[in-house]
Amino acid sequence: MSEKINDQNEIYRPDLFSTTPRPHLIAGRCKACGKYTFPKYYACPFCFSDDLEDAPLSPIGTLHSFTIVRRSMPDYQVPYGLGLVDFPEGVRVMAQIEADNLEGLKLDTKMEITVGPVRKSNDGKDIVSYKFCPVS
Amino acid sequence: MRDVYILGVGTTACGRFPDKPAHILGREAAWTAIKDAGIHPRKIEIAFCGHVYQGMGVGQRTLKEIGLVGQPVVNVEGACGSGTLSLWEAWRSISYGQYDIVLALGVENLSRILSGGPLPLEEDDIEVAMGMGMPALYAMRAKRYMEEYGVTAEQLAKVVVKSRKHAALNSIAQYRKETTIEEVLSSPMIADPLTRSQCCPVGDASAAAVLCSGELVDKLATKKPIKVLGCAAQSGKYSTPEKLICDPSENVARTSRMAYEMAGLGPEDMDVAEIHDAFSIAEMIVYEALGFCEKGAGVRLIEEERTSLGGDIVVNPGGGLLSRGHPIGATGLLQTAEIVWQLRGEVGARQVQDAKVGIIETMGGAQPAMDGITCVVSILGA
Repeated sequence: MSEKINDQNEIYRPDLFSTTPRPHLIAGRCKACGKYTFPKYYACPFCFSDDLEDAPLSPIGTLHSFTIVRRSMPDYQVPYGLGLVDFPEGVRVMAQIEADNLEGLKLDTKMEITVGPVRKSNDGKDIVSYKFCPVS
Repeated sequence: MRDVYILGVGTTACGRFPDKPAHILGREAAWTAIKDAGIHPRKIEIAFCGHVYQGMGVGQRTLKEIGLVGQPVVNVEGACGSGTLSLWEAWRSISYGQYDIVLALGVENLSRILSGGPLPLEEDDIEVAMGMGMPALYAMRAKRYMEEYGVTAEQLAKVVVKSRKHAALNSIAQYRKETTIEEVLSSPMIADPLTRSQCCPVGDASAAAVLCSGELVDKLATKKPIKVLGCAAQSGKYSTPEKLICDPSENVARTSRMAYEMAGLGPEDMDVAEIHDAFSIAEMIVYEALGFCEKGAGVRLIEEERTSLGGDIVVNPGGGLLSRGHPIGATGLLQTAEIVWQLRGEVGARQVQDAKVGIIETMGGAQPAMDGITCVVSILGA
């Protein structure tokens, strides 16, 4: 699903985030029941409607939990932060965390979206995607 | 629905066996279970084989080694719950009247595909692409649980100390050396706060059970038959932020409630349990989901040693996934074998006194958006 944009890196799932006007994630919203999912599914898991639309999530969420991964799969540079962030629309999203002091990060901190490398491709290029960082 | 009994069980040892592919491990477990049941192999009408990574037709390739050819073989995959999903398939094929004598097999050789580190997951899952392994997901549960309930790293480590103490008495366990809180906490950090000793090892094994209908049990049984009092399999529901990541799994709670209802029993009636302790934190949370204690109180059962040998509800007397091992497709039937041995009174030093009823819980897979891929809960009675 990665879409190559230039020789330097690839973007993973460009359909799931946008950087304008402020970095945010793109979820799915059910037009029938109004509930959100991340990502957008084929049918709504709450009411089974298939009338779904892309919908931006709030740019800021709350850190529900996180870990610092020190042993991972090949292609991932350890250590890295990985966290779950709850958004006001009622979805919980997992992504890597960029922070100056990962060890000192507190649960329930306000987090925003940034874009950065998440792993290396087979030919050694950065694969970039959405990440979380504490609200500056 | 008809009564279903387990006539016999068999297992290999758990460990790293890179020279023994799945069918070599599997034939030993299947043959041992058939011998334990005391039946002629030809009487088996259908076999189910739980596995995750063992390739095309692994059940057929395994059973060919012991002459079990011709009859249907169904390979079953439900992530880490594959072994008990195979047991559930065997149970329902008898319970609903289609067959009378059935083999449930589980097999996995992980050493041949993985030297160590986290289990390879589906890269098409967004979370996996973002760097989530199973240790990381459970680490996030542990982090939130510690924050919510003031649980310490030492308390988490006690789960492993208990596990190794039990496994020291189990000749098939992968890790049989007792350990200390200090050792557990000083092993390398995998995903904070989980150290390596708090994660189940990479390992290989096979286990099997022979089941039969109530109509045939008196005629066939050569050892004390163990009755399947309840057996339920479910999948995870969609999970939303209304629940904490460390809350007792709704999937485990729902599946166990179905098994309890079928058995006409409750958590207070269980004498012994084999549960899915893939990581230290999982054990405490599963206590809560199975109704052994209230939400947030799992840590107290560990502190008070109520789930250790000698306690009032002994959990994982065989060492659990943390110490006996977690050869994923085999795990559910390794758990089943332990409960059968316990209810027959065959396990010597790790015997739970007067064990009459035992429960088996297996949880397969996990995604942040879904509360587990497969959960299977069985209740067995002597």
